[in-house]
This record gives sequence, C-alpha cells and structure tokens, in this order.
Amino acid sequence: MSRTLTPEEAQVLQALDEGRRVTVADLANELGIDQAKISAAAIGLGGDELIRVEEEEYAEWVLKEEAAGALKSGTPERRILLALLDHNGSGSMAEVPGWAGLEPKVVGQSLRGLADRGWVEKKGKDLEVTDQGRAERDVKGPDEQLIELLDRLGGAALESSIVLTDGGEAGIAPDDLERAKALIGKKSPFVERKTRVHRWLSATDAGAKLRAKGVEATREVSQLTPELLSSGEWRNVKFKPYDINLDTEPFQVGKRHPLQRVIESTRQVFIEMGFEEAVSPYVESGFWDFDALFQPQDHPAREMQDTFYMESPSRTELPDAGLVDAVRATHETGGDTGSVGWRYKWDTEKARQTVLRTHTTATTIRELAKNPNGPRKIFSIGRVFRRETIDYKHLPIFFQVDGIIIDKTASFSSLLGTLAAFYERMGFEKFTFRPGFFPYTEPSVEVFIWHEEKQDWFEMGGSGIFRPEVTEPLGCTEPVLAWGLGLDRLAMLLHDRSDIRDLYISDLEWLRTEPRCR
Amino acid sequence: MPVIGVPTEELRRRVGDEVQGEKLLDVLGNLGCDVEGFATLRRPQCNRCGFIMELAGQEDVPPQCANCGTDLRDVDGAITELDPLEVVRMELLAVRPDMFDPAGLARAIRGVLDLDVGPVEYQVEGVAAKLRVDPSVRRPESLRPHIACAVIEGVNLDHDSIKSLMKLQENLHWALGRNRKHASIGVYDLDSWDGSLEFEYTTEPPDYAFVPLGAEAGETPWSLERILEEHPKGTAYRNLLDGFDRYPVLRTQGGQVLSMPPIINSEKTKVHLGTRRFFIDVTGSGARIVQRTLSILATSILEYHHGSKLRAVELIDATDPDDAGSTRTLTTPDLTPQEMEIDADRTARLLGVEMSASDLQHRMLQMRHGASLGKGSNVKVLVPAFRNDILHERDLMEDAAIAYGYANIVPTRVETVTTGKELPTTTAAGAVRDVLVGMGYLEILTLTLTSHELSDGLLGLGAHPQTVIVGNPISQEQTQLRTSLLSGLLHTFARNRHNALPQRIFEVGEVSFLAPESETGALETLHFAFGSIAPKVGFADVRAEAESLLRDLGIGLRLERADVPFLIPGRGAYLLTEDGRRLGVFGEVHPAVLERLGLQNPAVLLEALVPTKEVPGVYRSLA
Repeated sequence: MSRTLTPEEAQVLQALDEGRRVTVADLANELGIDQAKISAAAIGLGGDELIRVEEEEYAEWVLKEEAAGALKSGTPERRILLALLDHNGSGSMAEVPGWAGLEPKVVGQSLRGLADRGWVEKKGKDLEVTDQGRAERDVKGPDEQLIELLDRLGGAALESSIVLTDGGEAGIAPDDLERAKALIGKKSPFVERKTRVHRWLSATDAGAKLRAKGVEATREVSQLTPELLSSGEWRNVKFKPYDINLDTEPFQVGKRHPLQRVIESTRQVFIEMGFEEAVSPYVESGFWDFDALFQPQDHPAREMQDTFYMESPSRTELPDAGLVDAVRATHETGGDTGSVGWRYKWDTEKARQTVLRTHTTATTIRELAKNPNGPRKIFSIGRVFRRETIDYKHLPIFFQVDGIIIDKTASFSSLLGTLAAFYERMGFEKFTFRPGFFPYTEPSVEVFIWHEEKQDWFEMGGSGIFRPEVTEPLGCTEPVLAWGLGLDRLAMLLHDRSDIRDLYISDLEWLRTEPRCR
Repeated sequence: MPVIGVPTEELRRRVGDEVQGEKLLDVLGNLGCDVEGFATLRRPQCNRCGFIMELAGQEDVPPQCANCGTDLRDVDGAITELDPLEVVRMELLAVRPDMFDPAGLARAIRGVLDLDVGPVEYQVEGVAAKLRVDPSVRRPESLRPHIACAVIEGVNLDHDSIKSLMKLQENLHWALGRNRKHASIGVYDLDSWDGSLEFEYTTEPPDYAFVPLGAEAGETPWSLERILEEHPKGTAYRNLLDGFDRYPVLRTQGGQVLSMPPIINSEKTKVHLGTRRFFIDVTGSGARIVQRTLSILATSILEYHHGSKLRAVELIDATDPDDAGSTRTLTTPDLTPQEMEIDADRTARLLGVEMSASDLQHRMLQMRHGASLGKGSNVKVLVPAFRNDILHERDLMEDAAIAYGYANIVPTRVETVTTGKELPTTTAAGAVRDVLVGMGYLEILTLTLTSHELSDGLLGLGAHPQTVIVGNPISQEQTQLRTSLLSGLLHTFARNRHNALPQRIFEVGEVSFLAPESETGALETLHFAFGSIAPKVGFADVRAEAESLLRDLGIGLRLERADVPFLIPGRGAYLLTEDGRRLGVFGEVHPAVLERLGLQNPAVLLEALVPTKEVPGVYRSLA
C-alpha cells in the first residue's frame, strides 16, 4: 500500500462489510460525518479502486410553501369549478374572479388546467362547466391527492415510497401519479419533483483485502495545532512535508556589535589575568595626556594638526603643586630621576590646555598617580581621539585598550609574555616584537600579529616599560609595564573588513548577517 | 612619518653582500625601523639646479622643480633621466637621526651584526675658519640666536652623494628642526667665493639683496622681502620670520652672502659636482639642538665620504649655550662623547635576561658606544655625539635589549597574583545590552563627535548649554561631543533606508557634558538608547518594551508626559525613578524629524541613563 488513508477514507472502508451496499447519504447518517466529506473519501477510495461507486437516479416530491393555501381553500381550478357551479355553471371572465375570490390573472392562468381536467369550456367570453365538471364536483383529482398525501407525509417523500403497488392506503396509484404528473406539469406553484443521484458504495476485492488487514487512518495537516495535541489526534495525522530549500523570511536578530564583542573579549582576558578596570574623562588636560608621560611640550603629537583642543572647557585644573613641580623639573633638567631631561622651559599653561584624550594611557597614568605602589594591574578600554580626516583607514575616534602592571618583579620579558598571552587568547598564534619608540616608555616594543589568511604582519600597538621620568615624579619606584593597543584594527582583522568606517557608520544588513567570529 | 628610500646598493657596499633581501629587512626591523619593503625609483634630474627627483611607479614628473622652481614640463631638455634606483622604503625613525642616511644606517647595522663594534673616532682637525656673531641675532623675539658651524674637506661628489646629502638635510630639518623651526642647516661650497674664511652671522633690513638658490640675478634685485614673497622656499617658510623687521643673514666678511637662515642659500655658494670642501652652518632656537644637529650631519658626511676631514670653526661672541643673555667664544663641532654609567644587574633585572657586566659591555659596543667595565656590575659608557636619544641609563638599557635582540628574550609572566575586577558601569552596561539583545535589537556604534546641526538641531532642540566644544574641529560635522545618543540612531536609520524593515537598533555609550566642578571641566555619562522603524510601530510598542526593560533592570515604570520637539505631542514620556528623577525619555518620533531625514516610516525611540547603584544620575540630554 503506497498511500496512507485519511481518517474519513478509513472510516468509509471500515463500514463497508463484505457484500454491503450503502448510499453516501445513509453512510453519512450512520457515521455522523458530513456528506461532502464522505463523498470526497469515496472519490479518493474509488480512484484507488478500493471501493465501487455506483450512481442511481431517484425522484423526490416536495411541497412548496404556496401549497398551504391550496390545502386550505382548494386549488384555483377547484375554486373556479365550485364558483361556476354556484352560479348555474356559467359566468363571464369578468365575473368569475369575484365569485372565486381569485385574482383575474390567476383565473387566466388556470384556464389551461381547467381544460386539461375537462371541467370547464370557454365559450366566447364565458366559462361553462362541462358534464365532467359537474360529475367531479366532489371527486379529488390526482394532483389534489398528491398534495394532500405529501402534506400528510410531512411535506416531502421519495417517489418510490408513495407509489402504491399493491393497493395500500397511504399512497397513490401508479396511474394517478402519472395523471398527476401530467396535470402538474413542469412548473407547479405547489409541488416539485426533484431528481437526484444516489451513490452506492461497496468494497472491491482490493478494498476488502485491505479492510481485512486493518485500516490505518492518517490525516495530512500542515500545522500542528493545540487541538491536535489536546485530542491526541496528532497521532493519526500526517504532517505535510515542506520543501526545505525554500527561502524563508530573514530573521530579525538582536546581537552585539562586532567591535563591542572584541572589546568584551579583551576585557575578559585582562580580568582573567587579574587586571582591574579603570576609566577617565574624554576631555583631558595636557598635563595628564602628555606632560605626565614625559612628552615634551613641542612634541609633534601635541600640535594643533594632530590633537583636538577644546574651546569649552578651555582650561583645566592641575594636580597638587608638588606633582606639577616634579613633572616640570623632569622635563627641564631631569629632576631627581637621573635623566638629563628635555632641556627646555616647561610652560604651566600648556599643561592646563584641554584636549580630547589622544590615548587611554591618560587613564592608566592617572591610576598610577592615585596609587603608585604595586603590585597592581590596571586596564582601561575606551575611545580616543586623533585629528584625522575620515577615510577608509582613518577615523578621528577609535577604541584602545591600555594596561599597566606595577610590580617589583616586572620585566621586559614579562611584558612580552603578557602581550603574547593576550593575543593568544584573542586567537592569534604567531606574533613578533620589534623595537618601537615612544616618549614615555623605554625599552619600547611594537607588537605585530601574523594573519594567516592575509599572509602578513599587522602592527597592533605600542608598549614598553614606563621611563623613570614618568614613574618617579608620581612616587613610583617599581617597574611599570605599559601598553596601548588598538582594538578597531583587531576587529577589522577578525571580521575581514578593509574600511574602518564600516564599524561606526554601519550597514545594518552587515551587522545582521556577520558571524560572531570568522 | 615621512617615508624614506635608502638605496640598497649604498647599503650593500657598506655592510656587505650577505646582508641583502629578507635578511636586510629583518636586521632593519630588529633595529626598530618600520620597513615597507623594496621599491625601484625613477630619477629625473633637473638640469638647471641638478636636483634629483625620485618617482615611484607611474608617478608623473612634477610641473616644477621642487628645489629651484624651474618649469619642467614645457621646456625641452629641462630634465635628464638618471638610472633607476632600488631602495628599501621605511618610515623615518625620528629618534635616530644618525640612521637617516645610508652611511649612518650602515654604521648601526655593522654594530648589531658584530661586523664592527665600538665607537667610531671622528677627529676634529683644528680650526679652519672664524665666524663673528652679531648681537642683533639675539634680539628677544629671535628664534635663532644660536649657531654652530663646521668645515669638511676632501669630499668627492657625484649625483648620488649630492642627492643623499640633500635628503639627509631635509630629514634632519623635519625630525630635529621641526620643519626648520628649531634648527636649520646650510651646506655651501667653500671654494665658491674669494677664499675668505671669516664669516659673520648677523641681521639685515628687508631691502638687503642677494641671489637665492635657483634664481637669476635679473634687473630687480632679490631683496630679502622679495625672497620671502616670491621664492618657493620663501613662501614655504616665511611664517618662521613673522614679526621681524630684520632678517638673519650669514655671509663672509667680504660680503658674499651664504644664506638667509632658515629660508634659502645663495645661488652662488651652492654645492655642485666639483665641490671639494663644505662650509656648514646650523642656526636655531636652542644651543643643544643646534650643536647636536651639526654633530649628526658632520659625522654622517664623514661616514659617507671616506677620507674626508672635519675641521672646526671658531665662533666669536657666540650666544652662550648655558645663558642665552651673554656671549662667549665657542669652537664647533663638539664631538665629545657623553659620559654615562649603566648597571648590568639592574639591566638584567629590567630586561628579564641573564646579562653579566662584560655581556653588557659588548652590547654597548655593538650599539657603537664606547664602553669599559667599572666597579662590580657597573659599565662606563661613552655615548657618541651623534646620538640624540640618550637621556638616562634606561635608554642604554633599551640599546642593550636591541643588541641582545627582542626575539631572543624569552616571554614570561609576572607571577604576582592579583584579582581582576570590572567597573560597576561595565556590569550595568552589560545588563542593558543583554536585555536589548534579548528583545531582538541590533547593536550599533556611532562616532562620539558630532555637530549641533546633526544632533540636537536635527531633533529640533537648541544647543545644549553643557555642550563640550572642540576648538580646532577637522570638519563642520564634528565640532562637539555628543550630548545624546538619539541622533545616532536616527542617522543610522537614514543610512539604511535601502535595507529591509523593521529595523531595531540600540547603542550603549558615553555622552559628554560640561562639569565645571570636575578637574578637567567635562564628564561622561553612560547612556543607552534604542529605536525601531517599521510600517506599523507606535507609542504602545515602545512603552511595552520600556516597561519590560526596566523590570529586568529592577526599576518600576513611572512616567511623566514629555512635550519635546522631536516626539509627536501627546506621544512622548519621561521615565522617572521612584524618587521622581528623570531617567530617560521615549516616544513616537515626530514626522517633521522623519521628513528631515527622508524616512518614510514611523519610528519610536528611547534613551535613558544606564542605571547603576553607585551613580544616582539624572537624564540631562534635554536640559
């Protein structure tokens, strides 16, 4: 059996006992299922030659609503006959409607019926009752008998059930039925003969065999519904298979930004390595952004063309005078740090200038000043600002992670090891360290990571050990490892973007479809 | 950083055949050079002044000679194409001007490769000339009271060596001179005048005239004023002499002008193929930078021109390097090395490597310092006069690390255990992100710099009184820090009009306000904002989401009607805390705002503080 049966098909087949022949209507009654569904099942089963479907025509007589008047006062023909007989058997077409209580139009329409019955003849403008008319004054015609019979039977009956074959009572003789049919004609206001088709169903051999084996019903559904579940009916249904390759509506996901995920991974790695997170304002003083980091006041990074200076707020407070003097001395002569210093005149006003911080080293140096005693590990992730025109490689704003380790045992080798651990955790296996040069670290190192797909080295940022000229004025005598690494470039490498603007001026379709990691 | 091209043939000649290709790139990288790779340059030469241009790939010959201004395109025979040149391209390493030219670079490479260690003893062989410094160069506003000079004899020049010298000069101007502001250099053919070896450094009024480099005498004299107005170098550098009514002039006692520092040399004294002796001057604002620049230039020339001799110049009435107000006689150049000490134990500890005093001594010699063992772990170091970057023992430790090789240092970890901790604001922002992602919002990041027109202006608001304003913005679109995240959401919708709806986005980030009570005068507040745009979205949607979100953050929904210009009247609300502080705002975006951005669908927005227990803030974006 290649085909599963629907529940209706199964029920129909189940009902067709060996040798049984039953109509759709009867089966519908019996099973309590709508006839249309039985018919559909029958067509299905018939198509597979599991059952035979035989059609048989039959007639049914039905009383119409208008028959009520005729049953009460007689048919128009009967009323015209009686009215004429009351007036000596003759009257004009003008008089008869009044006598019979009928519309003139109805009287006109009845002339044919009166003639067919042989009751009345029309002579000129007069109607005259015939002898037959007089004889049948009290004899019911076959049509009248039929109407009354149908009325008694509840208004409708199968023709086969009312034809008297052996002279019974509640019925009509076959001759009378034929005469009645003739008198009623095709259009009667009182009765109607409807012809219908019975579908007789019976099992074929194949059907009987299947039935004997036991029939399993499965309904095909497209959607599992609460009703199917609560009724347990889901066991009997078949779920319509879908075309699994058909496109579906794109799903509207919610997710974090790729760069944000890089930020979060970065944060997690440093926290796991024992670092405490720190933060500081975007607007920074020249003092903390540059001077405290031993960047001379004429350093190119401090020029107007590279750094954003503020109109408002235009000037900042400086920390306590002792610290400011120590920084000044270090710049001018090296102070007590053993350095020769930059040998120029340090200007307090330049230290008071407000800038948008150019690195988050401003954050870590503030932390170092707050508490210069190790062991401490601090990190900060935040936006930094450089006066760059926007293009595919540059934005005036990007994210950095800065970190410091203040520890008596810290060394250049542990700096390299810490950076290596970070990039390993971020998924890079190969990195290299090259000398770098920054005003505030010595020795300094630049970190490069190897990108396997691109087959190239990428510079990730700078690091080193803070110079004594940086740490000692803050009261710190331990080695301080420090680094500032760009996160945007890392995100671009991890997400294969070549235009940095994609990160901040985003196409939502990209954000929606970009995998969490490549 | 400018990118320079060092001729590989020059390097090969000086460091040997084995240091080529990848090996060369590696050595340079290990010295700290930011190397781009190899390139071949075309070299058209200006026939008028001899200047050699270097052009990469398909680059066109410039319309004018960068040196003398001669029109190169329309004049037949204006240029001669020299043989192409292979170079290794790298960023100029500003802290090591002694490595700017092939000769200086080779000196460093030979050291780290152990081909040549220890200092190069450059001799200054007696005074060759005298120069008198006029007091007028010390006027208070003068940028160039200091001068240092030298004479070099016995040079043999060709096009390449002239080009190399010009590039070295240019790069020193950039790196040490800060574009000639702090120091500017002049190199002259000492045999181009009457043989006078007596000079003066003085000032002259604007009508004083001489023929500048690349110019012809002509009928109109080249007054100092005309040079500043018409000569390409004059217009390029005249800002350095702003506010002066007399200009610096260097000349022989016989009246032959050598140059007008820091602008231009004279045509007559220029260096050419036949030049055998140089007169060199460096003028500038600080004694140290002027002397150091001269030392670096002179030693690089000596290194380049084997067999050349360096001779001193006596400077009479020179500005005292230690006291700019007084004068004394100086003899320059001064190549006396700087005496320093470095401790091997401290160095080993800082670098995290094994290093004995004699190991360290050798590392110092590799870096071309003089070095001798002192007491215990001490090493005495003589830093050559061409090093400009050694301020502290720590700088020598870095030299030791470079000679040791960063690649040979074994990475370790600090063993001290500390406890990691994130900031409360980070935790709070993470909670907000979790909730919004759960609600199906896509995170965006936008730039923190904006303008009033693009932010509050777009929302129909006046300028926020606490706006943090940039003094030197790079564009009209980035004149201030943002005071709200809302416009970022709206601009993102506008940029994504071509993408499918609905669009549901959020941002968590800082907004900035002036904070006169704080140290730097401005502070950030952490906000979050979300918004949706879709054919059917309205107040009820955002209200339901606000309620759900706040419930997740442990805050009840308390509302106050918000009548703000960017929300439809009657469809905006402030979020309040239990004690009635404003926490944020939300509602249905006003059609006028949508229309301004060309948006054709309704949108809703919400912005609020990221709530933390520690910071009981107030939503101030609509102050």
